[in-house]
Formats: sequence, structure tokens, C-alpha cells
Amino acid sequence: MSGDEINPAAVAQAVEDVQGDDRWMSQIWRELFSPLHALNFGIGGDTTCNVLWRLQNGELDNIRPKVRFNWASTGPEREKSTAQGNSFVPVMHFIQIRTPNQYLIGPLQVTVVWVGTNNHEHSAEQVAGGILAIAQLLTSRLPKTKVVVLGLLARGDGPNPLREKNAAVNGFLRSWLPRLGQAQFLDVGAGFVHSDGTISTRDMFDFLHLTAAGYRAIAKPLSDLLLQILDETPEEKRASLV
Amino acid sequence: MSSEDANPAATPTPGVDTQGDGRWMSLHNHFVSNSKDKEPDVLFVGDSLVQLLYQFEVWQDLFSPLHALNFGVGGDATQHVLWRLSNGELGHISPKVVVLWVGTNNHGHTAEQICGGIMAIVQLIKDKLPKAYTLVLGVLPRGKMPNPLRERNAQVNKLVQEAVSSLPHASLLNVDPGFVHSDGSISHQDLYDYLHLTPQGYQAVCQPLHAHLKGLLEKQAEN
Repeated sequence: MSGDEINPAAVAQAVEDVQGDDRWMSQIWRELFSPLHALNFGIGGDTTCNVLWRLQNGELDNIRPKVRFNWASTGPEREKSTAQGNSFVPVMHFIQIRTPNQYLIGPLQVTVVWVGTNNHEHSAEQVAGGILAIAQLLTSRLPKTKVVVLGLLARGDGPNPLREKNAAVNGFLRSWLPRLGQAQFLDVGAGFVHSDGTISTRDMFDFLHLTAAGYRAIAKPLSDLLLQILDETPEEKRASLV
Repeated sequence: MSSEDANPAATPTPGVDTQGDGRWMSLHNHFVSNSKDKEPDVLFVGDSLVQLLYQFEVWQDLFSPLHALNFGVGGDATQHVLWRLSNGELGHISPKVVVLWVGTNNHGHTAEQICGGIMAIVQLIKDKLPKAYTLVLGVLPRGKMPNPLRERNAQVNKLVQEAVSSLPHASLLNVDPGFVHSDGSISHQDLYDYLHLTPQGYQAVCQPLHAHLKGLLEKQAEN
């Protein structure tokens, strides 16, 4: 993913120029998700519990965008001290600028959920259960809305227990989510771990949070899926959705 | 007995891996090995506000041309930066200016202790890089509305300003362009989570910082 194995002659110029370049971060959201009228409710450090709380306490109440992202971006644990909570979500600020009022244009069609890597106190099975609970909450509150759950990414410089745990969470989700009907699992982590087991800081600047290059790599398969889902909902059906 | 013994903010302390993937040490090792073939004129070191700066366009526009390296680690407090600089991160480089931005994560420490931590870093840099100039950036206000951490950070800046005033090799630069509005609030358009800077926030901070840095580098060149 860092570009080493790619033929430079077959790569568009812009791909080479992403390291530290804010234009790409904003461009990813602007080009791929903004046209889908998306809102982002990510908070750094959130666990499944935090996301569940937020969804149960108002975040689903007033808005009906076409696509909403509920992702808890990765960050240090919060229980260490309430004064902490530094979060590394470079992409988040682009979303906070938007107000819900701009998006009273149509019913919510897709929710993207990305959470679980911060659940340090929980086993893989518990974490998967927490994510499933979020998906269940969404499908019960918004029965016509599809849910896309993103797989947890690998993390850390080299192999470590958290990678195994995140992979195990993904394994549970792969088998559990289809049973919900309206929910599906999407693995966007392919390619981040190199053959020697390392992750490059060009993809994850602290071996956890994505750089612009890292975000672009995951945004493409995600936006493809979202477009596909949005296309599947015919115009007439969209008009009758509440 | 030196005061550093009693001040946890001034006692070199490595980051503790509480999550299970050893990323703090990985990052430290990455910085040490990454510096081996670089010759930066400027070194930025500190916490997430330094680290994230590298991810935005403003780094490429303003600081890359100055041949800057970035050794920011999210979550770091003064004692962590002190440990990193004592354990290899200054081993292979001789920057002319070190930009130090740290202090907001020193939870549980008093403003005096945090100032002591910052000054310990300033002293360490002087010991390891006798010709370098250290530019300490003022700690920013945080939180949506007035709160004790804002007061603590303001007091840190005041104490550091006093401490460096007699030093020829260091100074404090206030980079807060006025993030706190008249009603005491901070806008998420500047600090998206009332702690970390948006691109707009970084622009407001970095323009004057860049100008000041260029002036310092020119002066260093004359010496």
C-alpha cells in the first residue's frame, strides 16, 4: 500500500503526492463521500460502548442524511483519566463543519460503522458482540437502512496480540452480520501488512491512525460499495422511505 | 538533591504500552533510525499537535522547505519527550533550531512541575546540541468553555516565559491567535475536538511560527 510494489508508470501522479498533504485528506471526503451527502459522527478513542451510548442518546433522532458514518476513530484509552482523550482523527474536522440542517433531503440509506479497536478491556468475542449490538440497534431503529460494518485494521509496527484480536473480531463479524439481513461486512485492511509483517508509517503514521495515503486506500472500496448500495435503491422506493 | 528527582514532569520516563502493540517504542525507534541519514535544520518535537502537523498540507508548504523533521508523539507529556531525546532521538542530527511543543498532556502535574519539565528539556537540548536554539511554543487553550486546564496551561506559559527570559539559547513563542472567543468558547472550526487543530487552526498557528522560524534560522546562519 505504500507504493513500493506498484509500477510507478501505472500510477496516477496524485497517488505519489499524498504524504502529509492535507488536500488529499479533504479531497477524499469531498470527492468520494460528500457527493453522497454523508455525515460523520466519529469520536477519537470511542469504544463500542461509547458509540452505543451516543446512538441511544440523540444522534439518530433528528437527521436523515443519505449516508452516515458512525466510526469511532482510534485513540488512547479513555479510562486512564477523564482529562485525556487525545484523538487522532485528521479526517473528522471536515465533517464537524457541516450542520445536520443541510441534509434534510432524503431518508437515511446507509450507515457505515467502524469501531472496536479501542475496546481494550474486552475479548474479541465481546468486541464483536458490541459491534453486532450497534448494527442491531441501527437496523431496529432504522429498518430501511443498510448497515456496512468495516473490518478492524491491523495495528502496531510488527505482529502483536492486538492484530490477532482484531482479526478474530473480524472473523466473528463475517459470520454473524449476514444473519442481520440489512447488514454486511467489508474488509478494507488488505495490503497494510507487508510480507515481513510490518506496517509502514506511510500508511499509518503511528502504526494505528491512517495517513492520507492510508485513507485513500480504504476509501475507494468503501465508496464503491456505497455507490452500489445507493444504486440498488430505486427512485420510487427512495421517495417512500421515511 | 536536584529538583528533577522530585518533579515527575522532569524525570525521563518512557511511554507505557497499555494497549498491547508497543507503538510508543516503535515510534521512538522509528525516529531514531529515520534520523540516521537526515540533516535537518529544524527539529519539531512534542505531542500530538506536533505529530498531526506532519499530516497536513501546511507541513509541506511551510516546514518541509526549511528541512524540518517531525518527532511528535500523540499523548506525550514532558517526561516522555525528555526520555526520547535522552535515548537516541538527538543522536544523529544537529538541527539549528528545535521547536518544542509539549505540556498539555501532563495530567496530574502542577503548572510549576510542567514548567520544570519543559525547562529540563531545554537544558537537555543545550547539553546535547550546544549550538542549537530552542523555540518553545506556548501551550494552547483547550476545552469548549473555560476550565481548569486552560488556567493551568496559561500559567505554564507564564512561568516558562519567565524562565527563558534570561537564556540566550531559548525563547517562548505564543502561537495562540485568539482561539478563545469573547464568550469564553473555543470553536470546533479551530480545534475540532477542542484540543486538536483543524487545517484552519494550523494555518493560524503556523503562519507566524514560520515567519519567526525563518528569522531564527537567518540569525543562526550569521553566527
